[in-house]
Amino acid sequence: MLVTSTNYNEIVKKILNHVEQNAALISIGEHTEIDIFHLIDELNKTEIKFMGGLFPKVIHGNSILDKGIVVNTLNNMESMFLIKNISSKEYSIPEVSFEDNVDYSILTYVDGLTSNISHYLSELYENYGMQTNYFGGGAGSLSLEQKPCVFCNEGVFMDAAVFGVLSMSSKIGVRHGWNKVEGPFIITKAQGNVIKEINWKNPFEVYKGVVEAHSGKTFNDENFFDIAKGYPFGIIKDGAECIVRDPLMVNENKELVCVGELEDNTLVDILNGNEESLVAAAKEAALDSINQATNPRKAIIIDCISRILFLENNFDKELNAIISTLKNQFSNVSVGGALTIGEISSYGEGFLEFYNKTVVVGLFE
Amino acid sequence: MKVENHVLEILQLYEFAMAIGKSLDYKENCDSFLKLILKRKSLNAAWVLESHNNVLTSTYALPFGNDIKSDNKEVLEKLNKIEKNSIVETTDLISSIAPITISTGKTIIFNLNDQGFLFLYSKKDNIKSKDLIQLEPVMQKFAMHLKACRAFKEQKQLLHNLEVQNHELSDYAHMVSHDLKSPLRSIDALTSWLKEDYEELLNDAGKNQINTIRSSVEKMDTLINGILEYSTIGKTNVEIFNVDLNLLIDEILIMIQIPDNIEIEKSILPVIKGDKYRLQQLFQNLISNSIAYNDKEKGKIEIGVEDKGQFLEFYVKDNGKGIEEKYFEKIFKTFQKLENNQKSTGIGLSVVKKIIDLYGGNIWLTSQLGRGTCFYFTLKKEPNGKA
Repeated sequence: MLVTSTNYNEIVKKILNHVEQNAALISIGEHTEIDIFHLIDELNKTEIKFMGGLFPKVIHGNSILDKGIVVNTLNNMESMFLIKNISSKEYSIPEVSFEDNVDYSILTYVDGLTSNISHYLSELYENYGMQTNYFGGGAGSLSLEQKPCVFCNEGVFMDAAVFGVLSMSSKIGVRHGWNKVEGPFIITKAQGNVIKEINWKNPFEVYKGVVEAHSGKTFNDENFFDIAKGYPFGIIKDGAECIVRDPLMVNENKELVCVGELEDNTLVDILNGNEESLVAAAKEAALDSINQATNPRKAIIIDCISRILFLENNFDKELNAIISTLKNQFSNVSVGGALTIGEISSYGEGFLEFYNKTVVVGLFE
Repeated sequence: MKVENHVLEILQLYEFAMAIGKSLDYKENCDSFLKLILKRKSLNAAWVLESHNNVLTSTYALPFGNDIKSDNKEVLEKLNKIEKNSIVETTDLISSIAPITISTGKTIIFNLNDQGFLFLYSKKDNIKSKDLIQLEPVMQKFAMHLKACRAFKEQKQLLHNLEVQNHELSDYAHMVSHDLKSPLRSIDALTSWLKEDYEELLNDAGKNQINTIRSSVEKMDTLINGILEYSTIGKTNVEIFNVDLNLLIDEILIMIQIPDNIEIEKSILPVIKGDKYRLQQLFQNLISNSIAYNDKEKGKIEIGVEDKGQFLEFYVKDNGKGIEEKYFEKIFKTFQKLENNQKSTGIGLSVVKKIIDLYGGNIWLTSQLGRGTCFYFTLKKEPNGKA
């Protein structure tokens, strides 16, 4: 459900009517003209349990919105948790008891601009393993200024994550559509989200050489992101799609600052994509989830904001490809979601990873 | 394409190999390597089982799952038959030694020899024999690092135990000394009153025996003080000051009252950084020893120093009785005396050695029986802050 009202009573009333006795997943476009702290106070006057995030844009049906509140009902919510201090790693993951022969899904929103998100995901997997599916994304502002962006009944937080454990089956498709231009390269030195060396050389020099030759464009002081948004890195996996890392800017040492962390000695390719490959991948993600699902009630789309920055006006095609594929198979499924700063899922129920420039489609039954 | 794949496999092996040994902590070492394998190969779980006395115990698991403790002989026999590695289908036998619930899929088992068995599990059957071939070369390195982690942990534990024991010993010395001193004070007071109150009744033999008791009490008091001194060296942080050794030695010579037949010859000594009290103990004990064991009509003690770069090498030389070479080590041990001298506690040279050890120096001696002894010792010019 989409709420466009800015009247708090009306918003609360609409949310309550929509989710009834269930919990709510609330995704809010960052330009929505409401005071999130006030909204939480108002929601807390009711009995509702909720979690959510502020995102650059939200998805409702075929629409992409800067403003608006997208509400999804979280049926069968078993428990909901807030994890603070993601960057300092000073937290512990609470114990959850999973019953045999019950399908579980964990939905998580994390501050997409904080550090050590991979550690948080690793901790989740260490504790809960294959007993559940995982699905989620990075919240935050497109300005890349870190501020409070994930919320639950306890308030709004930055450098934090919220997650809910649902006794509900989920079928997930993950694709990106970026293809290898050149590689492999070794990230011989990295620190957090900064690539300090590629093949023991200055990373920008290596990157520039490949990208300029392929694109026919020349980097100058102002156009790094304009060109780089079409040339992400891909962390090489064995027999599966690579994990994309998005180069954001070049720092004063000519090092590459990315969204998402990399580690020393990681093998990467330099990738490139186009409208066709990205739209096709989005459709594939939808098909992957459809092929596993039998009777989904809702679809949640977590799509990377950088894909819209790359596809620009053609992003509609990507969203339409997903929606039409889903509706073609399951016409009554409701569709909501967000354009995020990083996406969360696991390929084939394996180890949990943080993606960039990727689309994750989740069908919940 | 084949060459390209080959290069990629080698580079992946490089990535895996570099993830081993980043930490000397067992879990961190496993995390770094095994999480990478799980991510890159899209696997679901990894765990390590060790076998001790025919019981398999889990030492690492990702995800955590349940602890494994199995004495199933059939499992152990099958595992022991794996020379290097093997891919197995999920059976009840494998499920029984998995920390997580598994019913389908495949598992690679690597024999890590002393370090047990590593299990890599895939729910989706995406484990191929090429994975075995690729990972085999790094498994030996992984096993070696697990061994190093264990050795490091044992060493850390040993050091911790030593620290605790040291602390306990020091507390014990304090406690014993305090408890021993109390009855000593009573004996001293009672014998003193006995001597005063019954002076008329005691004959000379009785008075002598009381004097002997009081002298023994005094000796024991000195001994207890010595134990206390010895046990407190190095236990307290002190402030380091510049100490003028010329002035320090002069003060010592006034304090210990040099007999008329002993001549002291002192060269110009430096100003060094240290704790004045400990340095005084050091020199005073050596000089007192040289005086106590000098049997010559004209005794001579020489004190000097030589600059040896980072160290200063001091000497205290006498023309006394000398020490047999077989006692060169023994004399620095606590309560070791070469002769039954009533005034000696057997602690003086132990205290000297402990202080020098603390300053990162060394002590040794040269000696000739009947001609004298020379004690040499070095002190670091920049000592640490303990004394």
